[in-house]
Amino acid sequence: MIQLRNIQKSFGNQLVLKGIDLTVNKGEVVSILGPSGSGKTTLLRCINFLERPNEGQVIVDDFKVNSKQANKKEILTLRKKTAMVFQQYNLFKHKTVIENVMEGLIIVQKQPKETARKLAMEVIEKVGLTEKANAYPVQLSGGQQQRVGIARALALNPEVILLDEPTSALDPELVFEVLEVIKRIADEGITMIIVTHEVSFAKDVSDYIVFMDQGEVVEEGIPTVIFNNPKEERTKRFFKRINREEDNLESNLTNAI
Amino acid sequence: MDITLIVDFFPKLISYLHITLLILVAAVAIGLVIGVVIALIRIYKVPGFNQLALIYISFMRGTPILIQLFLIYFGLPTLLALVHIDVSRANPLLFVAITYGLSCGASFAEIIRGAVNGVEKGQTEAAYSIGMNEKQMMVRIILPQALVMAFPNFANSVIGSLKDTSLAFTIGVMDMVGRGNTLIASSLHALEVYITLSIIYYGVVICLEKGFSLSEKKLQRFEGSLAVDTK
Repeated sequence: MIQLRNIQKSFGNQLVLKGIDLTVNKGEVVSILGPSGSGKTTLLRCINFLERPNEGQVIVDDFKVNSKQANKKEILTLRKKTAMVFQQYNLFKHKTVIENVMEGLIIVQKQPKETARKLAMEVIEKVGLTEKANAYPVQLSGGQQQRVGIARALALNPEVILLDEPTSALDPELVFEVLEVIKRIADEGITMIIVTHEVSFAKDVSDYIVFMDQGEVVEEGIPTVIFNNPKEERTKRFFKRINREEDNLESNLTNAI
Repeated sequence: MDITLIVDFFPKLISYLHITLLILVAAVAIGLVIGVVIALIRIYKVPGFNQLALIYISFMRGTPILIQLFLIYFGLPTLLALVHIDVSRANPLLFVAITYGLSCGASFAEIIRGAVNGVEKGQTEAAYSIGMNEKQMMVRIILPQALVMAFPNFANSVIGSLKDTSLAFTIGVMDMVGRGNTLIASSLHALEVYITLSIIYYGVVICLEKGFSLSEKKLQRFEGSLAVDTK
């Protein structure tokens, strides 16, 4: 179980997270939606202390870290319980696909090389890249690179995988393959917190939706409620705008044809 | 001009090539150690040392190597005499190695620092996100890529140093140029000596360049492999 209690974060004078509380149960997939600048990526990065919160607690699997007193060792322990998938993939460029996946297993988890290799191959197969196991990141498409990013996170068998806009940097035709892999992993019962702009995907894959705006949680709940009957004005407006954009896109396409 | 003299001088001069190469190897070795240490001081902005490193780099950049050589040759014994260490009879090669080592160290430090900063910041975050500590991140992820990126500049710097070693004779080192000077004195054929020297230096530089470009291709396989594979 992952729990965030009163997470606050400011950059300079600007308070970007105004005390966020969130509970994610084991095996749950939670999507965080919201307009850009709402603080959702910052919140995700506070969970593994890539950003250190100014205030609040992060609890992962009974391991509690207080943002104010957290020392290096605690942060390291916390990070070993989590894994992250980045918008820009952030693969290790000098390592092949399999080496990228094995790195954490060998260096952080101290697994023997052969065990790590076997495990890495299994995960790589899961994301459909068996044939690319010995390729370097530059030889892969964006979609393939992101699938390696997912494999690298998945191999560590973390309590939770944090996905930070995993498809935002991808060409539209490559988005689907990545979403499909995420969906497959979700179905296996891996706990995930996803920051995304793919509203329909979030609807499809999530057990729980959190809608954020201006550094606070505006509304949260199960997808059917949030999408079909949002209570808050800001949530309604957000979905209305998203729908309008999609309609515009469609009508533009129709016009173009 | 007498071309046959060049043929005559060639073996006499090239028999001192090993001294030139010895200076170069010593300079690069000392320079690498200093360079990595100074680069890390600059990257982590170690209080106090960072300012010293800045002054050191700026001084080595801002003064001619010939002057540095004299400063070390005359200055170091004077300095050490204060603590009652006598180096006045030490081999001049030692002073040359120290000077060129210090000089290489300054340029290597800046090359390494630039390359470390050039590795995408995202990879640092990725390393942290899988639970690596700072040292593991530096040693396993950043430095291997930084050193590869630094390699072309590093190679240029080494070639520059090789040519700089031709000044070592000024403090009495008997390297190729030193031997050349004695040949000039005995034969009175300066032009032929310098032509021979230029041929030897040029040959060595060409060999070094070839070697560097081969190793560069090997090192950068993860960057260039796309182009290679599609052909």
